Formats: sequence, C-alpha cells, structure tokens
Amino acid sequence: MSDHAQPIEQRAFSRLPKWLRPRELEQEGTGRMRLIETTLLVLAAVLLAVATVDDVRLQTKINHRLIADLRTWRVHTGHDYHNLTVAQDMHGHTTREVVCGNTTPGAPKERVQICLVMTGPVSHGLRRVASGWYLPPRVEDLTGYRYGCFGPPAAGWPCPR
Amino acid sequence: MLAALLALVLLAATAEIVLDGALGHSALIPKSPDIAGWLGGIGERLGFRVFLIALLSFSGAYCGLLALAGTLSKRFAIVLLAALHLIVFAGPILISTDVFSYIAYARMGVEHGLNPYLGGPIEIAHDPIYRYVGQDWKHVATAYGPLYTLLSYPLAPLGVKGALWGMKLEALLASAATLALTWRCARKRDLNPVAAIVIVGANPLYILYGLGGAHNDLIMLALMMAAVAFTFSGRDGAAGATVVAGALVKATVAVLLPFMLLSRRRPASIFGAGAAVALAAVVGYGVFGVHGIDLIAALNRDAAFVSSDSFPTEIAHLLGKPGVFPVDHDLLKAALVLIVVHLLWRTWRGYDWVAASGWTLLAITVTSTWLLAWYTLWSLPLAVIARDRRLLYATLFVQALFIVHQTAPLLAPVQ
Repeated sequence: MSDHAQPIEQRAFSRLPKWLRPRELEQEGTGRMRLIETTLLVLAAVLLAVATVDDVRLQTKINHRLIADLRTWRVHTGHDYHNLTVAQDMHGHTTREVVCGNTTPGAPKERVQICLVMTGPVSHGLRRVASGWYLPPRVEDLTGYRYGCFGPPAAGWPCPR
Repeated sequence: MLAALLALVLLAATAEIVLDGALGHSALIPKSPDIAGWLGGIGERLGFRVFLIALLSFSGAYCGLLALAGTLSKRFAIVLLAALHLIVFAGPILISTDVFSYIAYARMGVEHGLNPYLGGPIEIAHDPIYRYVGQDWKHVATAYGPLYTLLSYPLAPLGVKGALWGMKLEALLASAATLALTWRCARKRDLNPVAAIVIVGANPLYILYGLGGAHNDLIMLALMMAAVAFTFSGRDGAAGATVVAGALVKATVAVLLPFMLLSRRRPASIFGAGAAVALAAVVGYGVFGVHGIDLIAALNRDAAFVSSDSFPTEIAHLLGKPGVFPVDHDLLKAALVLIVVHLLWRTWRGYDWVAASGWTLLAITVTSTWLLAWYTLWSLPLAVIARDRRLLYATLFVQALFIVHQTAPLLAPVQ
C-alpha cells in the first residue's frame, strides 16, 4: 500500500485512542471483517443475479407477446405490413396492447389506420382481438381521433365514436 | 495456440459488428454522418440477433483469455489490443448517440455563442449536428465538466464529420493512455502488467460500448489512472490535481479524492487538489458562468433518471413493482453512503485506497437507477491493480450480468 510513501507522521494522531489511529497497512487480524464483507458481497451477488435472470425472463415473455400481437394484427387484417405501432398499457400494467397499422399500402400512418386491442395469453403464436377502432391518416392514436369502434370498450383506451 | 484462437474470435466478433454497422442506421447504430461507408459493402445491416451473438462470442473468448492472461506475451497483448482498437476506430459509432451530444455542446459554444450549461441542443435545431442528437437529450444541458467542454471546443469548427473523427481520435488516445498507465501501475505493484492490460483493453464492454461509442468516460479513466500513477511515484500534489482534472471531465471520478487523501495523509495532495479546484473555478466561472462549475446540480439531475438496465429497476421488477419510486432513490443513496463510510473507515485503518475507490465506483454503478454499459467500466482499471482481488471478480460479475440482461431479444421467437 505504501508505494514510494514516506512513513507517516504518527505524532499528529498519537493522542487518538489506538483503535482510531490511522494505519499505513492493514493489521493482520482474524479475517472476521473480510468474512463479513465477503458474505455480504455474495448475498448481493445472488440478489443481482436472480433479479437479472428474472428480468430477462420477463422481457422475453413481453417480447414473445409483442411478436404475437404483430402476427395477430397481420392475420386479422390480411395485410403483411411491417410498419406497425404497438402501445402497451403503461398505466394499468396489464398485458393488454393496441396495435395500429395502415388499411391500405403506404408510408407509416399515411393511410386510414386500423387499431386492434389484444388481450389474453399467446396461443399458437396469436392473441385474442377484443375490440378496435379506426384512425384517420397522419394522426396519433388519441381518443378524439378514434371512430368506427367495434367490440367492447377496453379499459384505458376509450373509443367515443 | 489457444490464446491465438481466442484472439481471432475477439477480432472476428468486432469486425462483424463494425462491418454490419457500417451499412448505416439500425436499432444499434445511431443515425450518423457517413464516416464508415467505405466498409459497407461486405456486411448486412446490424440487427440485435447478430450483435448479441457477436457480443456473447466476444465475451466467451474474453473469459478464455482471462484464464490464460498470466501466460500471454507482451507482444501478443499489444498486437491484439492495437488491432481491436483500430477495427473499432475505423468503424461507425456504435450503440449510443452521446458523441453527437458532445459535438452539439461544442458547436453551441463555438459556432453559436451559446452556453451549453444553460440549454440543450434544441437551441441549435438548425445546426447540422442536431439531427443526430438522441431524442432524450435534445432539451438537456451538458452534464459534463468544464474541462471536457473546453477540450471539445477545438473540434467544433471542423464540421460534423471532422468533429466526429476528432472525438473518435480522442477516445482512441484516451484508451491508449489508460492502458499504458494501467501497465505502469501494475508494474509498480509487482502485478503482471500484460494480464492487467488484457483484462481492461480486451473487455467486451470497453471495446464495443466504451470505445465503439467514443465515450468521454475513456478520458476520465485516463486521468483517473494518471492520478493513481502519480501517487505510486510519490507525486501527491500532481495526483490530487489530476483527480480534480478527471472530475472536471466527468464528476464521478472525484470519489477517488477522499480515499487518496485519507490513505496518503500528505499536505501535497490537498494543495494539489485545492489549486486545481481554484483554477477550475476561475476558468469555469469565467467561460461558462456559475452553471459551468455547479457539477452537483448536474449530478443530482442525472441521478433522477431511470434506465431499464439498472439493477434497482431489475430488483423492483423482481419485487413485482413496475419500476423504481422516489423513495427507492433515497434508500439507494442511503445504502451508497453506508458503503462509502465503511470504505473510508477501512482506508483510514490501512485498507488499499485504490481498492476502496474501485469499490465506491462499483457501488455507484450498482445503486444507480441510470445504468449504461460504459458505467460498468469505471472500476475496471482500478480493479486490475487493486490489492483486493475481490474487486476484480465483483466488477467482472457485474459486467457479466449487464451482458446477460441484453440477451432477451435472442430468446424471443423470430418474427
């Protein structure tokens, strides 16, 4: 530890009790402190490892569901479009999602869009379409723009018209 | 023979990412001026699957090299690290848009006469760099220290491409300096310097994320290792001043100072640090005003950010919560304070101050709600020269978890 260091001036700290005085090198002890630290480090490592693996599992599940959402939209509309938007239920933290895409070929959001509300578990790579609505071209999926609503209203996604 | 094979895997994985990345914008390659187009005819556009397979291959080969690190020759290590650095240097900016923010802040100051500590790149929306700045950072004033901002100013008049190459060169030189200083410090401590530079310089997060994104963390690391090297040579005044210089690039490195002062107990460290702070305050205030020297405000602002890769977010998800809440920030700060106090006490009683500083940087990484890959690099150069090997194992473990956390797209079905 004392790389090229001069011996420290101990007199400045000589009035301190022995256990409070600074040391140039750690005292050889019983290793109890090191054992406690190592135990805490191992416990922290286990917690971080479990949290990381669990988060990967969670993310994989979400990715799996989102891919099923996109596939369901394509199957229901009969359009093999890839520029779709997916909105998750960030407030209610449910697994309900809304997928929107054009009804006719064109740049993303440049045509009338159809939005489908997906619910339930993934079955054979697809999810259940609970309801939906249409949107005019070049708008975001906001309540006021929704029309031609079908199916029961979805909590968190009101469809007024 | 095995080491050569592992080195080839590292080079091939890096080349794959760089060649695919050279084809241009993708989820992993930010929108960028075309600086690597000449490499673009060979690969395919970089997707998550290819990137993750390359990252995992790189990481696996790196683990193999760690096991062999004690047997590697100096020439082998230098050729490998030089090749990795040159491949990344020739390629596009990988994964992050931060470098475009650095350039935007420089251009705000030099080309537009604006103070980058008072507003974000949105104020130069008409500037050619603006379209490359990350969406989340367009309204955000710089959080970097005044020394870094001044270092970036000479690059601003070079145009967007020129400045980008300048930033890449700065990162390359900073990385070379970090490795040279790591070598020197390892030798001073009678550790194997070849192993030390391979552990740092062939690290997947160091090469692909740190160097690949031309992050200014590399400049901070170079100054951090310079401070350690000065201490090892008994030049305490220069060491104190260099830590302050590092903190004026990125404030995080300031955590070294209390450990250095407690361990060395030399007036020269305090005078060196004090003189550097005074000089920085005068220059920073003169050029940028009071906001240029208020690093605490920038740190507090960034501490409130939350990223999905952070460990607190993962633990919150494990506990069934949607994310971290304000109370969690307070709990994490309290945990960090406890750790730092314990390390300060241990340093006072003779524990290796280099290890204590490394543990603190690692603790910041783990407790931060805003974690990016290159933050996991902060403790690495200290870990390879620390007297406590647990720090190296802990740093590599945290990095491994970060990499594991990136792999979710590999496990999802192909669309």
